[in-house]
Amino acid sequence: MSREPVVRRFAVAAAAFSAAAAALVGLALLAGTSPLDAVRALAEGAAGSRAALGETLTRATALVLTAVGASLAFRAGVLNIGLEGQFLAGAAAAAAVGPVLAGNPPAARAGILAAAALAGALWVLPAAYLEARRGVPEVLSTILLNLVAAAAVSGLVRGPLQDPGGDYPQSRALPDAVRLAPLAAGSRVTAAILVALALALLVTLLLAGTPFGLKMRATGLAPAAARAIGLPHARLRLLAFAASGALAGLAGGLEVLAVTGRLYDPFSAGAGYTGIAAALLGGSHPLAAASSAILFAALGAGSSAMQRDTGVPSALATIVPGVLVLAVLAARARLARRAA
Amino acid sequence: MSIAAGRLAADSGEILRDGALASYRDPKGARRAGLVLVPQHDLLIGAATVADNLAFLDPAAPFFESSRSRRARVRRLAESYGLELGAAEARVDGLPVGTRQRIEIAGALAGDPDVLILDEPTAVLSPDETAALFASLRRRADAGAAVVLITHRLAEVFAGADRLTLLARGRSVRTCRTSETTPQEIGGLLLASAEIGERGNDFHPSKHAAQSAANAGTTSLELSGFAPKQARAVRAERISLSLSPGELLVLLAIDGNGADTIARAIAGLEPFSGRVEVGGTPLPPSGDPLAFRAAGGAFVPADRREEGLVAALSLAENLALPNPPGRVLLDRAAMRAHAEERLGAFGVRHASPAALAGSLSGGNQQKTVLARELARRPGVLVAVHPTRGLDLASAAAVTSRILDACRSGTAALVVTADPDEAQLFDAPLRVVYRGRLSAALSPGTPAAALGRLMAGLEG
Repeated sequence: MSREPVVRRFAVAAAAFSAAAAALVGLALLAGTSPLDAVRALAEGAAGSRAALGETLTRATALVLTAVGASLAFRAGVLNIGLEGQFLAGAAAAAAVGPVLAGNPPAARAGILAAAALAGALWVLPAAYLEARRGVPEVLSTILLNLVAAAAVSGLVRGPLQDPGGDYPQSRALPDAVRLAPLAAGSRVTAAILVALALALLVTLLLAGTPFGLKMRATGLAPAAARAIGLPHARLRLLAFAASGALAGLAGGLEVLAVTGRLYDPFSAGAGYTGIAAALLGGSHPLAAASSAILFAALGAGSSAMQRDTGVPSALATIVPGVLVLAVLAARARLARRAA
Repeated sequence: MSIAAGRLAADSGEILRDGALASYRDPKGARRAGLVLVPQHDLLIGAATVADNLAFLDPAAPFFESSRSRRARVRRLAESYGLELGAAEARVDGLPVGTRQRIEIAGALAGDPDVLILDEPTAVLSPDETAALFASLRRRADAGAAVVLITHRLAEVFAGADRLTLLARGRSVRTCRTSETTPQEIGGLLLASAEIGERGNDFHPSKHAAQSAANAGTTSLELSGFAPKQARAVRAERISLSLSPGELLVLLAIDGNGADTIARAIAGLEPFSGRVEVGGTPLPPSGDPLAFRAAGGAFVPADRREEGLVAALSLAENLALPNPPGRVLLDRAAMRAHAEERLGAFGVRHASPAALAGSLSGGNQQKTVLARELARRPGVLVAVHPTRGLDLASAAAVTSRILDACRSGTAALVVTADPDEAQLFDAPLRVVYRGRLSAALSPGTPAAALGRLMAGLEG
């Protein structure tokens, strides 16, 4: 993965971007607009102004964290498909403890984020236990836990966490003093994106540059060898799993703290799943996955603008990331076969 | 050969068959055209049964087939080629390597291929099975098929082949009819081209007895009432034995008789009953590789690519495991220095310590595994088929490293299926047949007698 030859990486990227561009042009023609106008509207909506850039980065925060979480788990050989559930667990924890924590805002924020990360990490435990003790593949159990989390959020905002001041299925709002303020006027972006990017760097360093990361990579690449060589295989997997859940939980907590200010139903727009797609696109390399996450966020923000300006339905633009991921996977598999 | 069978693409050149250009995009195309490769490491589907795997391999198998017909195929192939294929309904991943290899060979023969390529097929076969395999290969050849056999064993070449080509490091050294040359001549060429040099020919193991006498009273490895607990393997009988520092014991067995399970259970990779002590420390019977290593154990697994090394990590990274240097950050300089020292000391032919472990040849991979395992001066070394599939020079190097380690006080238990390999160690032998250990045999026991014990004909 990290050793993919440079030439091959360029070939993969070129193949993928041609496919994505072709998809975009095709979609614009299908919607009856000039492809050029559509692309221009998309680019402007993604990065054409301070507000547009802020929108992209705001959307990117949760995606970067779930993408980094997915990469960490995948590199250790844990197929954590439950980032969506861990994201929701983190958001629910943030919404639960947020209104209770009064006092000075920095301490309250730290408390909210700690609770969110912890909730995300705890949400992997049933899957980790079933895998270790009963041999249940974590792919299945984490997917099912996503459904449990979505149902739990739905129940919480209509029950214990419901805002007593209204009939909506939503929790009480965080105090304005606690919520993260925008970094600059005229934009929604907050310091949350900086937290996400710092964690992407930290996880990159952890995997590539620490003894612990080397052991984790060895476990992911060759589980049988890791066991025979004498690595604490089960513990390494559990740690990667929990850390990946904590990152997704933190994403949920930051979403509440920086964007929504409260929990409601339905809460997630699929941040956990898009994070997995970004990790796949980035070859499970945390920095590449984070870049892919920002790209996906830009496509998301841009496509809303494209719909507004040219009438190309934004739903069509969500096809583009899908085409991109498929093209990359296909190109990689083909090149790997040729090089073998 | 992987290129001919469509598994890998050629860098240059072309392949002709019956005078026509033949290039198969994938193994399926090659198989359909009657060209089959039996790889050295089988590519069976672990989660499927023996009967299912053979059905997949048989090009004549109908799309819908009853399980009874599939079971009948297992019986038919086992009988007509004299190969022991195991229970038709057994899952392949629970079977020993030898049985899996026999299944792969039977599957290749099932389609009566016109061109059959076998890569080291006899490494895991008993002498009887080897004879039966050669007889069926001869029948295929007499029926007009071409058979290509890749082997390190000269005796097989002269027993079975019409023509031979000697390859050394990817170059053809000599091609001739077997009737025009002698095993001695080819053996000489083989050793010369492998540049055995260094210490490869150094086969004069000191008497382990002298060493162990000095350490009398201490035990490195002690088994009492020990038996591996593995549901799908042969039921092993309770074993008691002990090794003093510097002592070497060879367990000789055909695959599937439980010798490798004994070794794996000692190394903590399988649960066992009874008692195992390494350096005086009892190991948990549930199987814990970490406890085995903490007590001073080292393990060389049978499957170096699956269990010995992490192919996608560099040599330096592999040699740094399981405890890479560095407190917070990896100490890359220390890793590199350690790797260069180890690779040099074990004569591993490599481009750089940053080269991927998977890019090395089998012999160099095995030397790398030994370099890592012996780095910690283990009290006990358990090695399974340490020279299987290696060329002569590498096998000699591996053997002499193990003997060196014994000389400096390591007790070693070596499992092998090859009487010749067993005798290289010049150490006491025990034959394992259906989970039962024979009495200790002297190193000079003739290979024929060992073969009969291994096949259960005596003892």
